[in-house]
Amino acid sequence: MTQGDLRMTAAAERGRTLTMLVDGGELTAHEGESIAAALLAAGRRLTRWTARTGEPRGYFCGMGVCQDCLMTVDGLPNVRACMTPVREGLRVETQRGLGEWGVVP
Amino acid sequence: MSAPAPSVDCVVVGGGPAGLAAARTAARHGVRVLLIDENAELGGQYYRQMPAAFPSAGDGVLGRESVEGGRLIDEVRSLGVELCLGAVVWGIFDQRTVAVATRDATRRITAQALILAPGAYDRPVPFPGWTLPGVLTAGGAQNLMKGYRVLPGRRVLVAGSGPLLLVVAHYLLHGGARVAAVCEASAMRQLWRYAHRMLPHLNFVQQGYRYRQEIEAAGVPFLTGHVIRRALGSAEVTGAAVAPCDDDWAPIRGPEQSFDVDTVIVGYGFVSSLELSRLAGCEHRWEAALGGWVPVRSREMESTVPGVFVVGDGAGAAGSAVALEEGHMAGLAVAGRFGRLAGREYARAVSRARGRLLHLAGFRRVMDELYRFGPGLYTLAERDTTLCRCEEVTAAEALEAVREGATHVNEVKAWTRVGMGRCQGRMCGPALAHLIARATGRPVTDAGVFTPRPPAKPVPLAALAQESH
Repeated sequence: MTQGDLRMTAAAERGRTLTMLVDGGELTAHEGESIAAALLAAGRRLTRWTARTGEPRGYFCGMGVCQDCLMTVDGLPNVRACMTPVREGLRVETQRGLGEWGVVP
Repeated sequence: MSAPAPSVDCVVVGGGPAGLAAARTAARHGVRVLLIDENAELGGQYYRQMPAAFPSAGDGVLGRESVEGGRLIDEVRSLGVELCLGAVVWGIFDQRTVAVATRDATRRITAQALILAPGAYDRPVPFPGWTLPGVLTAGGAQNLMKGYRVLPGRRVLVAGSGPLLLVVAHYLLHGGARVAAVCEASAMRQLWRYAHRMLPHLNFVQQGYRYRQEIEAAGVPFLTGHVIRRALGSAEVTGAAVAPCDDDWAPIRGPEQSFDVDTVIVGYGFVSSLELSRLAGCEHRWEAALGGWVPVRSREMESTVPGVFVVGDGAGAAGSAVALEEGHMAGLAVAGRFGRLAGREYARAVSRARGRLLHLAGFRRVMDELYRFGPGLYTLAERDTTLCRCEEVTAAEALEAVREGATHVNEVKAWTRVGMGRCQGRMCGPALAHLIARATGRPVTDAGVFTPRPPAKPVPLAALAQESH
């Protein structure tokens, strides 16, 4: 995992900060960011483990084509992290295999 | 599904340069246009806009294209083009009826004229380690930097072919990343041969030259005639190796050069997104200069299906300047069909657009020759390299099917599940066709393409259950 924040500091004024939950831990993100951008900015590359061999996968095409950055978001599996914006309190989980339907509290 | 789908004059699918230009021209002439895009913001990849929630774009280095795109977007909005954003076109039925899904509902709309501007994506090239987190495409890296001002990593290797590599390296350096090397597969020999043909396009040449100088000034090695050989690591990228290649871009056996990097960016050109033009029933042909299939089109950008136009990178990747002109041309043609533009006015507008396209084609031909795709790249995959990222099928498993007699991509699909996953074969299709061609000794065109079926992209069942008109 790369260390620290990978946001280019001088390059933009960002949306207001918010807190989401990633595998149960709090992660600060900015309104407007995609889930993938927020995770990558924090140096987190892993989005899921594959179904057949359990390989790690992450952000690859970055434009909604490859279907590799799938995560479980608010209990819904197979959500593309690169195409889904963050939200206050969003629950994001690293997905195992095809994922499971979670219970939304 | 029982009631007929509501009808609109013109539906444009794709809100990048081509789709925006098409919508603008058609709307300017009074055609009622509905523009559909999968992203939350218009602009596509090249004109990618910052999220609306970001108050300002900061410095201008990464923002040049989004500012240019922003002006076009404003114009399209002010012309009253109806927008449908965050919506996936998952099917085309009866040639011009599009099925659109949003997060929780789907609907069908019949277009009198349909303009497809689906764009292109980075050509997927399987190599050992290409599925590791930390390996990403040049387009994906661009989106992250341009769209969110986030660096993909700290120590980065850039490998691929074409001017986009220079742009990516430029952004990385600007953002404070360390670029270990830029590997250009083309040997870039005898560049003087192109000099006289590049003269009318000096602005492009100068831009490229400036990027090269900046990369050299930063002490970044620019390795021509080199390809990515492997990405290293178990949980994510911890290193990478490159190798020299021949003129066919096949790696040459011998010592590999290793780099201590946490990120690998790969960009070996683009392949057009053809799912929608195929679902509409358009005829396609193999374009050797691009190493891919493209829809057959008239000079007005109309496909072989009357009333269905295909423009921009989705009809053969040629960049944003060409995309804008093609979109404009299709917009003119549609305005002509609706009787909004006729006679000498129509002829003059079309002839001007054609002149500009011819001018740009001269530049394109040089670029296509200089960076001509080398199918030897597909020998990078080793036996246990993943070919199909979705269904996790290896190159060896696909080759086994070929040895048992499969000669078409659809046969290998049926035998191994390659291409059956969520990406619908977009990631493995081109590589599989080349793998079959190499194994059978037959032309790559004989291996064919996967038959596209709706849904062209995954759609939530909840949305399908809520189909309305």
